[in-house]
Amino acid sequence: MSAEPDLVGKLLEADGDLRRIAGELDHLPEAFPRRVNADPEQVEKGLAQLVLTVVELLRQLMERQALRRMDTGTLTDEQIERLGDTFMKLDQRMRELTEHFGLEEGDLNLNLGPLGDLL
Amino acid sequence: MSRSLQHEVTLLELVDRVLNKGVVLSGDITLSVADVDLVYVGLRVLLSSVATLEEQAQLAAGGAQR
Amino acid sequence: MIHVYGLVDELAELPPTRGLDDAPLERRWIEGLEVVLSRAETPPSAEVSREAVLRHAQVVEELMARSGAVLPAQLGRAFRDEAELAAALQEQAAQLVRGLERVRGCVEFGLRAVGEPGVEPEATTGAEYMRARLEQVRRQDALVAALHEPLAGLARESTLHRDAADEVRAAYLVPRDAISAFRETAERVAASPGLTVVCTGPWPPYSFAAAER
Repeated sequence: MSAEPDLVGKLLEADGDLRRIAGELDHLPEAFPRRVNADPEQVEKGLAQLVLTVVELLRQLMERQALRRMDTGTLTDEQIERLGDTFMKLDQRMRELTEHFGLEEGDLNLNLGPLGDLL
Repeated sequence: MSRSLQHEVTLLELVDRVLNKGVVLSGDITLSVADVDLVYVGLRVLLSSVATLEEQAQLAAGGAQR
Repeated sequence: MIHVYGLVDELAELPPTRGLDDAPLERRWIEGLEVVLSRAETPPSAEVSREAVLRHAQVVEELMARSGAVLPAQLGRAFRDEAELAAALQEQAAQLVRGLERVRGCVEFGLRAVGEPGVEPEATTGAEYMRARLEQVRRQDALVAALHEPLAGLARESTLHRDAADEVRAAYLVPRDAISAFRETAERVAASPGLTVVCTGPWPPYSFAAAER
């Protein structure tokens, strides 16, 4: 008898680019041993990834808030224009910075994981 | 679609359930490992709590829950 | 150290599997609830291994196959002795009893979906940008609803979480007699253009085991 659950039998349906979902495995708080990387370039890249992820998250949140307000009609035309202009420029700047550090969009994509369910 | 990706994805679902879901009974012995990712997760919670709460409230009002 | 796998109702017999560290499984009535557990020496470092996670999952699976209802326990806490376990169960006894009823006869299915990576909207003015983004968000919401609602319709309960990055996670508490209808529907809705979708299950009802807030 297998001492491990039958994982293959659990996959009901999968459609699309699974790498975008499988990548989350890296971000689960878990006890699996991890390699320690002390290469300075990698450390800098790791820090950049952290900082840019935070900034990107903030940007997405603010944008969502603004879109929601726009949807419910509680923004003036001037506000919409100003916000849109800011978000557009911020998005562009983020793409530049991400590229500068040799990162990809997918690298800035951390999930809330378990804490997401507390909200 | 590669079999190892399927395996990884399903493993993700399993580990997420075992470590993050399920009933929590208050035992004194805590089994865990300090994890750098928790820093990432913590920051994200701090920054996204308002937006996510609003969003979930809207979804719930829309009848997503039964 | 006592490790708990979950609470059960109408457990026909203990599965022949061994628990964590190959310890034998035990069933005990404590505070009016039947608990499945195993014992081990308290480890010097309180770390869980990958093996332990998989073994815990395996035990809970086998409990589900043999019980009328199972409340899976989260892996993360252990008890020095039965007295401590009894105290913990007493704290939540009423909710645990309700919990068993809530999940009785049901399995869990999970759904994860991500939208396509953010396409930069073509816009020259701020207002154009906002209009284009709003359109994108509305389209995304519609895709998610088309995916979630048919499945939620077959479930006793469901949850839906959205992360900032347009990622969606849902869980469905599905009665056993609706499993095949659920599978058919999942097959149909999972092939959604514009979304990467993963549907897994049947799982023991982990996501519906904790007390509702």
